[in-house]
Amino acid sequence: MKIIVCIKQVPDAKDVRLDPETNTLAREGVQSIMNPYDQHALEEAVRLKEQLGGEVTVLSMGPPQAEEVLRQAISCGADRGVLISDRAFAGADTWATSYTLAKAVNKIGDFDLILCGKQAIDGDTAQVGPGLAIQLEIPFITCIQKVREADEKHLVMERMMDDGYDVVSVQYPVLLTVVKDLNEPRVPSLKGKMKSKKAKIEMLTAADVGADAACIGLAGSPTQVVDVFPPPPRGERAILTGNIDEQVEQLVAKLATYL
Amino acid sequence: MLIVDKDLCVGCEVCVDNCAFGAITVIDGLAVVGDACTLCGACVDSCEVEALHIEGGEKSVQADLDSWSGVWVYCEFRAGLLAPVSLELLGIGRKLADARGVKLSAVLIGSDTGESAAKLIAHGADIVYRADNAALKYFTDETYGAVLTKLIQEHKPEVVLAGATAIGRSFIPGVANTLGAGLTADCTQLDIRADDGALLQTRPAFGGNIMATIVCPHSRPQMSTVRPNVMKALDTDASRSGELIDVDLEPAMLQAKVQVLESVISEHDDVNIQESDILVGGGRGLESEKGFDLIRELAKSLNGSVAASRAAVDSKWIGYPHQVGQTGKTVAPKLYIACGISGAIQHVAGMQSAETIVAINRDAEAPIFNVADFGIVGDLFEVLPKLISTIEGRQK
Ligand SMILES: Cc1cc2nc3c(=O)[nH]c(=O)nc-3n(C[C@H](O)[C@H](O)[C@H](O)COP(=O)(O)OP(=O)(O)OC[C@H]3O[C@@H](n4cnc5c(N)ncnc54)[C@H](O)[C@@H]3O)c2cc1C
Ligand SMILES: Nc1ncnc2c1ncn2[C@@H]1O[C@H](COP(=O)(O)O)[C@@H](O)[C@H]1O
Repeated sequence: MKIIVCIKQVPDAKDVRLDPETNTLAREGVQSIMNPYDQHALEEAVRLKEQLGGEVTVLSMGPPQAEEVLRQAISCGADRGVLISDRAFAGADTWATSYTLAKAVNKIGDFDLILCGKQAIDGDTAQVGPGLAIQLEIPFITCIQKVREADEKHLVMERMMDDGYDVVSVQYPVLLTVVKDLNEPRVPSLKGKMKSKKAKIEMLTAADVGADAACIGLAGSPTQVVDVFPPPPRGERAILTGNIDEQVEQLVAKLATYL
Repeated sequence: MLIVDKDLCVGCEVCVDNCAFGAITVIDGLAVVGDACTLCGACVDSCEVEALHIEGGEKSVQADLDSWSGVWVYCEFRAGLLAPVSLELLGIGRKLADARGVKLSAVLIGSDTGESAAKLIAHGADIVYRADNAALKYFTDETYGAVLTKLIQEHKPEVVLAGATAIGRSFIPGVANTLGAGLTADCTQLDIRADDGALLQTRPAFGGNIMATIVCPHSRPQMSTVRPNVMKALDTDASRSGELIDVDLEPAMLQAKVQVLESVISEHDDVNIQESDILVGGGRGLESEKGFDLIRELAKSLNGSVAASRAAVDSKWIGYPHQVGQTGKTVAPKLYIACGISGAIQHVAGMQSAETIVAINRDAEAPIFNVADFGIVGDLFEVLPKLISTIEGRQK
């Protein structure tokens, strides 16, 4: 089994907040982490490798420091790390990102399975996984919550839906996006940590993968951000007072329109 | 690429203050752009000496924009039911279509759709494209994607909207990618730009800490998924008339490599919390699975559904489909009552666009009170039974 996991480095949400004075994102001490959903994608890949044999390659597109999340992935069981990084990727939307990742996947070579997180927590778009599958002309299934059966040929899984779940079956090659319920990611072992320190992360540029300049970065992005602004302030805040009975009475009165 | 004109830049740092991403620094009296730049353009507008501009924004292959016309809504139909968001989208779709002076069309895909097409017309659609076939009984990205892609290629609508539901956020990205169209996820506001008729798509980013407005200047269609429960459906008007067109389905469009073996609808609880107007959320403060009975009871008295924090889900007191937050669902109910939830940023990210937020927590310092409209500081095991009986008393 050859498995590729797409991993994004994202700012840690607890550090990202808007400074109410200046209306800019507070930037001090913003830590970068592996996108939480991608940890579950990685864990599933490593489990499938342990069960069926093969190799797990982790792939990221991002600035040079994204190398850190690839090393972290190797410490958790991935075999090979590939970072595609180029100033020309700046401003990429999900279309341009999917295109670029597809070019990198073709460079990496054969694969049976690609795993992505359901969404990246910085943009919350959930579009790169499906987009990548379309670029590679393979089927995709989103929001996998459970793998019921896996062998060399096919997978039977549960896909989370709004009203329950669907049981789906598919043969390789396929791209899956996963949700948090799928598994419990492992913590890196000591051996894994040693390995990740020594591992060589392969670096690719736009030219290395033969990406068309018109399809990457801002030029390749059909969507463009024209404005950013703080969310509208919430209305009045009130901590109710009095004893609990009085507070409950006041609350129910305030909520009259919803009852 | 964001370009700084060295001759014009005076190093005033106005752009530094206007950059939400902290991507600009002034070094030796000159603005320098770092890797965090997202090319949002906020600095370009703020620069008084016009020293900043963005280069390379022209997509080389431009769609012939004028040949695309009409507003379309993908109307989700599953297990015999139209998703409520479909009707909400016809409401906003009607507004956009009227602003553009074009028709509003609905796309209905499924099996045994019965009277649904008529319902869509009564809610504002001028045209309904119906793909009703036994092979479309279960949703698959391939079949639904093939049908919608073909219709869009044939009829060239300028705008395509879909609900930001499990189904919409699954196959719409595939359709957009196939078409090379721009797609904005999980929008909460849509408008038409007066100068050029472009669709202004506004959505929260970074867990709702900032809002971003997005346009697709050079490509068509302009596609968005829209958060359920945010837009308003029109009242049913049975006197409205519209055209119903049954789509020709080619056999290739009905074939999928992914097979759906079974569709399991959750019967235990209402898990579709994104469609609920009223949510009662429980957290670690509930202490046990049994504690959630109180949450269910309150939800029932309000005719609402049950939500949860990750701590409660991780403790296995309730299932993951109920989790609200950054790694769960994003909800926008009219009322959210947080009980025994501390209000960690990852939780708040999923519920802060609720119209009214109520918090019940025994810790007066809990951050949930920073986002709550009304708060009660107290023990939930004392507060909730009283709240339930007071509400039930009122309803009698
Ligand atoms: C990458 C990442 C993603 C995450 N994603 C999510 C997410 O999607 N959703 C989410 O919810 N969390 C998420 N979290 C977890 C989040 O950071 C918090 O840990 C979690 O939300 C805490 O849940 P809680 O409020 O129920 O528990 P706690 O923080 O333990 O709070 C319990 C609260 O209950 C109160 N309480 C206790 N007993 C009582 C009582 N008898 N009466 C009244 N009040 C009482 C306490 O005062 C306390 O404020 C994520 C974390 C990370 C790192
Ligand atoms: N720059 C990137 N590098 C690698 N993988 C990515 C990147 N962006 C997105 N992905 C993958 O696509 C998933 C969905 O991301 P998004 O569409 O941005 O919400 C993520 O969970 C990753 O698996």
